[in-house]
Amino acid sequence: MFHLRIMMMALHGLRQNLVRTMLATLGVIIGVGAVVSAVSILQGAERDILERFESLGADQILVFNGSQKRSHRTTRKSSLLPEDAEQILEENPDLIRAVAPQFNGGGQTKYYEKNISGAVLGTTESYALINNYVVEHGRFITPQHVRGYSMVCVLGYRVAEELFGALPAAGKTVKINGKSFNVIGVMEEKGALGFVEVDNQIIIPITTAMGRMFGASYLTMLVVQCQSANRVPACIDGINKTLRTSHRIRAGQEDDFSVFTQDQFKEQLSQVTRLFGIVLYSIAGISIVVGAIGIMNIMLVSVTERTREIGVRIAVGARRFDILKQFLIEASIISMLGGALGVVCGWAMANFLSEFTQVLEVYTPPIIVFLSLVMAAVVGILSGIYPAIRAARLDPVQSLRYE
Amino acid sequence: MIKAAQLHKEYRMGDTVVHALDGVDLHVRPGEFISLTGASGSGKSTLMHIFGCLDQPTSGVVAFQGEQISHMNDKQLARIRNQHIGFVFQTFNLINRTSALENVAVPLVYTRRSFSKKTAMAALDRVGLGARAKHKPSEMSGGECQRVAIARAIVNKPLLLLADEPTGNLDTRTGRQIMQIFHDLHSDGMTIMLVTHEIDVAVQAERMIQMSDGKIIEDTAIDDERREEILNVAHDEHAKAFRDKAQRGLRSKSLTPPAERAES
Ligand SMILES: Nc1ncnc2c1ncn2[C@@H]1O[C@H](COP(=O)(O)OP(=O)(O)OP(=O)(O)O)[C@@H](O)[C@H]1O
Ligand SMILES: [Mg+2]
Repeated sequence: MFHLRIMMMALHGLRQNLVRTMLATLGVIIGVGAVVSAVSILQGAERDILERFESLGADQILVFNGSQKRSHRTTRKSSLLPEDAEQILEENPDLIRAVAPQFNGGGQTKYYEKNISGAVLGTTESYALINNYVVEHGRFITPQHVRGYSMVCVLGYRVAEELFGALPAAGKTVKINGKSFNVIGVMEEKGALGFVEVDNQIIIPITTAMGRMFGASYLTMLVVQCQSANRVPACIDGINKTLRTSHRIRAGQEDDFSVFTQDQFKEQLSQVTRLFGIVLYSIAGISIVVGAIGIMNIMLVSVTERTREIGVRIAVGARRFDILKQFLIEASIISMLGGALGVVCGWAMANFLSEFTQVLEVYTPPIIVFLSLVMAAVVGILSGIYPAIRAARLDPVQSLRYE
Repeated sequence: MIKAAQLHKEYRMGDTVVHALDGVDLHVRPGEFISLTGASGSGKSTLMHIFGCLDQPTSGVVAFQGEQISHMNDKQLARIRNQHIGFVFQTFNLINRTSALENVAVPLVYTRRSFSKKTAMAALDRVGLGARAKHKPSEMSGGECQRVAIARAIVNKPLLLLADEPTGNLDTRTGRQIMQIFHDLHSDGMTIMLVTHEIDVAVQAERMIQMSDGKIIEDTAIDDERREEILNVAHDEHAKAFRDKAQRGLRSKSLTPPAERAES
C-alpha cells in the first residue's frame, strides 16, 4: 500500500515533466530498441534459414568439393565427378535411396523476343525425386536424356510464365546462351527449395550442362538422400569410403570433398548468430550505459529542484529511507518506461525493415521483451542510487530554507 | 509536552562561532498557546526546528513527552514528526504540482496505514477549503495556501502545532483569518507555538516569549490587562516612529497607520 502510493506519486510527478522524462530515458529507448530490433531480425533470419533447410529434409546430405591448404592459403579443389554419384548409390544400396549430381550455371534464355536470365541447373532424374519436386506439364529429364547429352530442358514455373505466358511451353524450342533446347516440361510452382528460388531455374541434363554448355569436368555438388534420417551418420561413412577410394586418397591424407548435413549446418548457424549476439549486446550495453547516465543526470536535477519538497516530506514524517525509495522508484519507472518504449520502437523498426526490404523475416522472442524490461529496471535502480542517496542525506532545515 | 534544558545550538563558520541558541530553558505544557517573538536572527526558527524534531541541539536536552529526542533514531523521530507534530511555514511549502487534497494527504502516506481520502478531506473542511480540494496551489491565494498548509499540519491530529511566521507573507486581514483557525484549534485542545514579528498577533497567545541573541529574555503569561498594556506601548512606539519619519520627510509604506491597528 505504502509503496503503491509512492509509485503513484512518482508517476504523477513524471507526467508533469513528460518531455524531460522522455529525453532522459532516450539512451534506454535507443539501447533497448536496438537490441529488440536486431534480435528480432536475427531470430527471424535464423528461423527463415532453418525453415529453408528443413524444407530440404533431415535425410539429405550435401557433398561439396573440398578445400586444400597450400602454404598459407586455402583454395577450393574441385574433385567431384559425375561418376561419383552412381558409385555412391551402387556401393551403399541399403543406406542410400538416391543421389543427384548438380552443376550450377547461369545464362540467358530466349524465346523469340522474350529474354530472361537465370540459373541453369544440370542434374539427373533423381533431382525431382529427392526434392519431391514434380513437373506440372510434360515430363522431367530421363536417364536417356542424360545418357544421350540431349538438348532438352525443363522450365521453372516462373520462367515458363515469363516466356510463354498462358501458352503451353512443352514442345517449343528456346535458346539458352545461344544454343537451342527443346522444352520437354514445366515444373510445378514451388517457391524456394533450400536457398534456391527454383521457380526461376531451368533444368537440363547434367551431361549436356557439363559437356555441351559449360565445358566443365567437375560437379558443383552432390545431393544424397538417405533411406531414413536416423541413418545419416552411416550414410556419411559410406559416402566417405566410396569417395576416398574412387579419388584415391591414402590413409592419413585429408578428404578432397566435404560433407554437410542439416545438423552441421544448424551448428554453424548458431555459431554465427552467437557471434552476432555478442556484438549486438556490446552495442546495447554501451547505449544502456549512456542511458543510465542520462537518467542519473535528470534525477540529480530533480533532487535539486525538489529540495524544498524533500524538506517538507521529512517535516511531515518521511524517513530518510522513504525519500531514498521515492527517488529510486522514480528512476526505475523512468527507465522501465524507456524500456517499454524501446521494445515498441525496436519491434516497429524491425517490422518496418522487413516490410521495406521484403526479404527479412522478423521474429521477436517474448523472452527478449521480458529481459529488456528487467534490464531497464536494473538500470533505473543503479542510476537512481546516487541521486536518491543525495536526496535522503539532505538536511531538512537547510532544504526548507532553500530557494 | 516539551521540556528543553540548557539548549545550545552553534554554527561554526571558519573561526567565528554563531550561537543561534545560547542556553534556552523552556517548558511547553499541554494545551498552551505560546507566541515567540524576537529580532531577526535571535534563534526563533532554530528553536522551532529542534522542537519539531527536524534538528538536534549542539548541547542540552529536549524531551518530548518525557523522551529525549537526542536518543532517538531516524525512524522514531519520523514517527513523532508524523503523528504528534504539525509544522506550518511562512512560505506554505506546498507541492505545486498536486492538488490541495493531495498536499493535505502527504503526511498520511508516511503514516503507513491505509487511509481514505476522507481523512484529508475532513482536515480541508476544518480550514474551510473543502470546496477547493481539487485546486492546485498555483490556483489559490496566499491565505488559501496557508490554510491548506494548516490542514496538512493537522491531518494526523498532532499534539503540538508549530508555526513559523504563518502570517508573515499575508496581509493583515488574511492573517486574521489564519489566526482565527489557530484559535479554533487551540480551543479544541491543541498545543500551539507560533513565531511572529507582529505584536498584535503575538498578544493573542496565552503566553508570550521573547528571544534575543539565542536567549529567552522575557516569558509572560498574557491576560486582557497585560494585552492592553503591551498594545499601548507598541502603539506609542509606533506612533513615535511614524512621527519621526514624517518629520524627516520620509514616508514609508511598511509602516501601517495606527488607525488600522486599533481595530484588532
Ligand atoms: N546553517 C547555518 N549556518 C550558520 N548560521 C546559521 C545557520 N542557520 C542559522 N544560522 C544562524 O543562526 C541564527 C539564528 O537563526 P534563526 O533562523 O533561528 O533566526 P530567527 O530568529 O528565526 O530569524 P528570522 O526572524 O529572520 O526568521 C542566525 O544568526 C543565523 O544566521
Ligand atoms: Mg526564522
